[in-house]
Amino acid sequence: MRFRAKIVDLACLNHFSRVVNTVARLAKTCTLRLAADKLYFILSDKVANGGVSVWCELCQGNFFDEFQMEGVAAEHNEIYLELVPENLSRALKTAQNAKTVKIKLTNKHCPCLTVAVELPSLSSTSRIVTHDIPVGIIPRRLWSDFREPSVPDFDVSIYLPVLKTMKSVVERMKNLSNCIVIEANLSGEMNLKIETDLVSVTTHFKDLGNPPWVSDDESPSSAQDKDLESMAEARIDIKKLLQLLAGQQVNPTKALCNIVSRRIVHFILLHEDVSLQYFIPALA
Amino acid sequence: LRMQTDLSSFLLVFGRAIHAIARISDEFCFDPVEKGLALRSVNSSRSACAYVFFSSMFFQHYCWAAVSESCQKEKQLPIPCKLIIKSVLPVFRCVNMLDRNVEKCNIYTNINEHHITFQLICKHGVVKTHNLTFQECDPLQAVFAKHMCPNVLKLQSRLLADIMIHFPMSQEEVTLSVTPVKVCFKSYTDEDTADFSKAMHTEIQLNPDEFDSFQVGVDSEVTFCLKELRGLLAFSEATSTPVSIHFDISGKPIAFSIEDMVLEASFILATLSVIEDEAAPEQPLRFSQRQESKPHRNGNSQNMELVAPRSPLAKQQRTIIPKLSNGDTTGIERATTVETVGRTMQELSSTHSDYHKVRKLQSHLPYFSKQGNKALQLFHSLFFGAVSFKGKDAINDTFHSLATASDTEEDSVPTQRSQV
Repeated sequence: MRFRAKIVDLACLNHFSRVVNTVARLAKTCTLRLAADKLYFILSDKVANGGVSVWCELCQGNFFDEFQMEGVAAEHNEIYLELVPENLSRALKTAQNAKTVKIKLTNKHCPCLTVAVELPSLSSTSRIVTHDIPVGIIPRRLWSDFREPSVPDFDVSIYLPVLKTMKSVVERMKNLSNCIVIEANLSGEMNLKIETDLVSVTTHFKDLGNPPWVSDDESPSSAQDKDLESMAEARIDIKKLLQLLAGQQVNPTKALCNIVSRRIVHFILLHEDVSLQYFIPALA
Repeated sequence: LRMQTDLSSFLLVFGRAIHAIARISDEFCFDPVEKGLALRSVNSSRSACAYVFFSSMFFQHYCWAAVSESCQKEKQLPIPCKLIIKSVLPVFRCVNMLDRNVEKCNIYTNINEHHITFQLICKHGVVKTHNLTFQECDPLQAVFAKHMCPNVLKLQSRLLADIMIHFPMSQEEVTLSVTPVKVCFKSYTDEDTADFSKAMHTEIQLNPDEFDSFQVGVDSEVTFCLKELRGLLAFSEATSTPVSIHFDISGKPIAFSIEDMVLEASFILATLSVIEDEAAPEQPLRFSQRQESKPHRNGNSQNMELVAPRSPLAKQQRTIIPKLSNGDTTGIERATTVETVGRTMQELSSTHSDYHKVRKLQSHLPYFSKQGNKALQLFHSLFFGAVSFKGKDAINDTFHSLATASDTEEDSVPTQRSQV
């Protein structure tokens, strides 16, 4: 098992750092899956995570100048690592003016992801900052736990409002209630509601648009069967929603959510070369 | 004592000095002398001490007068006072904001009422007066022979800050490792902690060329507390003076100091002791204490360092680490600690002679963790002795090192909770 990668471009480094920062906000521990052409940050929906799950996919070619990966075996040319993304985030934080950043899998006192940052210095030789991040190697027999989650059979799919606006609304609501209701319909309307004994607050968004999903078995007529006005809703933990919104440092090209009434809300954020999916289960 | 200054750098520098000292201890000693103002503090485990001296020229107006005649017969000098840092910090809290609003700052002492007054004269006719009660204290001054250190590094404060920024704020200890041609700073995690396998390890390698001066007489690796140092880093950046680092081998203290025309500061930290050779003698740092000429002290001169100061408020936990070698071959010296809450001579002298009693220290002290019979890897405390004040009362430094030659102690000693 070998892994070596190098970033030389500051913009790529910046972008990669932001992705890692976003993941770090969503999960304390997660799985990093390395494949020949892609990297994935995965959090599977265990009870310990409160049922949320994360799937973040990056094309390595858009970030790394060099990328060499040799998986556990020829037929299974991938590596699954368990790590604390906050550590990776921290290692990259002070590398923002680096000449190069190298990431490799090493074995120090335990398996580590070593991040070596070459920084400009006042002398002839560069300053080298090395961070050893302990990781766990996930054995192949457990890989099936980390499969890409399928898009749920949603009732409504809708584009999200501007994330910054959504975040400031939800932030204020957080002080009033622990759970928030997201409801939306196929006419591009979304409401964020909180209800307590003393107060209820609703923020309405209009004209958001609904993404056109193509389904294999959907016949043209079924689209008309759906009532465009009826709201699908789910009550979710407000903190989990805030983790997603607060962690966004760059506005995605596309941001949408799929709601399965009273079951789950599935958020999809797409940047050029990164896709992030975040599932929040509905509360009872 | 009156001091007046006007703004430009005063509040920033003075404020950062207070904040830096606050990292060491909750209290500090405000000690005005003829030549300037000294601020000193020592942490509760006696493993770090800070000293900042502002010469009278730092202030726009500095006036120091000896105490009135009635006290002279007791040879009482202007009393150095102890202040609780928490009360002073708010005065200098928002340094950036202060800079804009404050036009003048007066500091004066009122000994009869036991007050020190910090008066900030602000814009728009606002005057903020802070009266802080002080207590008398015996200032402890580190006696640390910097010139005897084989290793001396000097670097710009900006560089030192750029190095330390790579360590997270939660990083407690850091190791500085040098050879004549290499230098690196790395994070240190105690091997015994549960975090060890999970902790992220950070290492920064530099070229000695980056230093203003780089003198390494002996290869060494010294581990010290970064948290206590951070205040000095901010302070030195405010003064833009280069930082000098004086140190020796592991176990001996390390000093970070800055000096310019109007001020000097010195932060001396104990370092983790890791020795290869058990027989190597340990030399803990010694401290000196201003000679007390008060009557009640006279009988106690030979045990000065153990006597708690008058102030009942000062719970002096004096940590004394005699060296006990326990046959450990891993090369890590296990030192045991004896903690005394010095109240009476009686209690102290009995403890003094008994190195085998080990008491567990307060859990908030970062260096002293762990339970069980295991003797602890510890930072050496810095000892205090007695020293003359401006050479007036010449004292033959009555150092009494409590760390005599190591007693062999085969079995680990039982630990007991200290009676605090």
